[in-house]
Amino acid sequence: MKRLNPIQRVLLGLILTTAIIAVVLPLMFFLANAFSNSTEIYDYPKTPLMSFTVTVDVSYDQVTEEYVIKYVDRRGDVKNAINSSSMLLISNYFEQYFSVYRTPEELESQFEEVLTSGETIRLTYAKNLWHNFKTFFFITSKADEALINSIVVVIYTIIISLTLGSMSGYAIARYRFKGKDQINVFLLIVRMFPTVGISIPLAVILIRYNLFDTMLGLAILYSLPNIALTAWITSSIFVGINRELEEASLVFGGNGFQTFMKITLPLALPAMAASSMYAFLTAWNDTISALILTNDHPTLALAVYQAIGDNTTNLQYAAAGSIILIIPALIFTFVVRKYVNQMWGSVSV
Amino acid sequence: MQDIKSKKTIKEQLKHGMQTIINRKTAPFWLLFPTFLYYIVFWLSPILISIKEVFTSLDGQFTLFGNFIMIFQENTFHDAILNTALFAVVSVLLQFIIALMLALMLSRKFKGQKLILFLIMIPMAITPTAVAIVWKTGLISSGWINSILQSFHLIDEVIPFIGLRGIDAVMMIILIDTWTVMPSVMIILIAGLGNIPEETKEAGFIFGANRWQVIKDIVIPLLKPSIITAVILRMIAAVQVWAIVVMVMGFSNVPFLVERIAYFVGPVSGLPYAQKLAYTYSFITAIIVFIATLIYFKISKRGTALDGGTQK
Repeated sequence: MKRLNPIQRVLLGLILTTAIIAVVLPLMFFLANAFSNSTEIYDYPKTPLMSFTVTVDVSYDQVTEEYVIKYVDRRGDVKNAINSSSMLLISNYFEQYFSVYRTPEELESQFEEVLTSGETIRLTYAKNLWHNFKTFFFITSKADEALINSIVVVIYTIIISLTLGSMSGYAIARYRFKGKDQINVFLLIVRMFPTVGISIPLAVILIRYNLFDTMLGLAILYSLPNIALTAWITSSIFVGINRELEEASLVFGGNGFQTFMKITLPLALPAMAASSMYAFLTAWNDTISALILTNDHPTLALAVYQAIGDNTTNLQYAAAGSIILIIPALIFTFVVRKYVNQMWGSVSV
Repeated sequence: MQDIKSKKTIKEQLKHGMQTIINRKTAPFWLLFPTFLYYIVFWLSPILISIKEVFTSLDGQFTLFGNFIMIFQENTFHDAILNTALFAVVSVLLQFIIALMLALMLSRKFKGQKLILFLIMIPMAITPTAVAIVWKTGLISSGWINSILQSFHLIDEVIPFIGLRGIDAVMMIILIDTWTVMPSVMIILIAGLGNIPEETKEAGFIFGANRWQVIKDIVIPLLKPSIITAVILRMIAAVQVWAIVVMVMGFSNVPFLVERIAYFVGPVSGLPYAQKLAYTYSFITAIIVFIATLIYFKISKRGTALDGGTQK
């Protein structure tokens, strides 16, 4: 490979930096939003850094006999928050609008100073970072059930796709038979076929088998492209696995099943990992089919979608819900990618 | 003694029986049978139902064009087709150009290359629903995009991105889509680049070609199978865009094909013709994707990354 000259290096660095900023900056703002309290979410202009604290100015109005609480934003601007004499109200306000959890008594003892001196004091509180997550589960009905549903549907999808897919992949890789080319073409078509097109009529069939609005029914749909994908990925791996190893196992008295379980399957593990990654992503990420095939039992992606609707307010709760949605997908993708990397040479999607 | 012997023969008979049912000739059949059954029940029969629905009218009469005429008269259909076509072409082109550029840069080894690759790949792993929220928090008037523009004094008043309609809105969705799926195109291209032997490039350099000529005349032609794979896969996915559209812009404001399906099975599913329209829309979408698949299959009969392993 030829070395780059200095100008090319600078250019390369510039382009890569731009790409990284374009990826990271939205994510930073998104994180900051997801952990914003209900007051910060309306701050403008926003900063990409998450805030962990809330600053307020507290004073006492002798005329109305009320505490005057003002919110100090991160640029130092002071905005009216709440005027009240009731510590309970203030405590509730702190929880709802500042994500700050303090009992009325705690607040009262901190505010005491203002009563006597009559001056304004500036207090800084640590935010409860879990507030938006709690609220997301609280305001989104069935969000906790949806999380479990998503996990269940992912497991079903992986099991169905891997069993049927690897069996087919093995057959295609190891045996000669008529119609193999046609089967390959068919599997490609099935894989490309839009699941949306299948979802609506599939609802009719799932109702017939009492599988409508169940996670198994949903997994059946998600498995359609993934069985074909698994068959294709595993077959290319099975072709590459040394057949002599299997024959050795058979010579030493293992039967076909044992050979498959102990020799072939472990060698095909990277392919299995890759296939399960795609199965995971299909099941975890989909919303449209879940929308069509479920009624009362949403998946998490669907619940987040329904939570936001076309709202433009209270986005911080939807953002918190999204974080719950993103993290497992992120972890799964990057853990499994190690295995996928092993087979990048032969297979690439 | 007698007993043990008879047991053994039963076992042997069983084994023999199994061997006549499962042998090298029949094994592939047994291995493929469950999958075939699965596809007949859950893939083929839905398609047949769908075809039947598309060619019958609401009262159950056969009609060849009735539902298609209905969909043509539906006032968002033309926009849906145009927007989807525009989206598919522009987004794929844009993603391909960026991905190729980054793939060429990142396929060479340098310090920090792995970390950069990791960072750029993050958006790919983010659920579309979440992507929509990431960007919606930016596009609202007090969102982060306006914040950035404001802090660099590029704008005086906030831009109401959410209120954009027509081509502007499609372009905005293309940018969001590019942010999230460009890495998947890049990965296919990087894998393809990895398969190009270093010697072919070196040969080019030895014969006096410059870097640009080597890329244009050696690397890209050799990369063609990966390029075709990436472009067609993206095309097929692009035709099916909807979640980002609905979550950012709301239903019906910027119609797309699959967005229409979601609309007719979602908010207005109670209307009598909604089901028919949903069937017809999904039929049209499926046909478009099917044609794209066939074209792909024609162009890349052999040797692409997609059917590589199985067609030896």
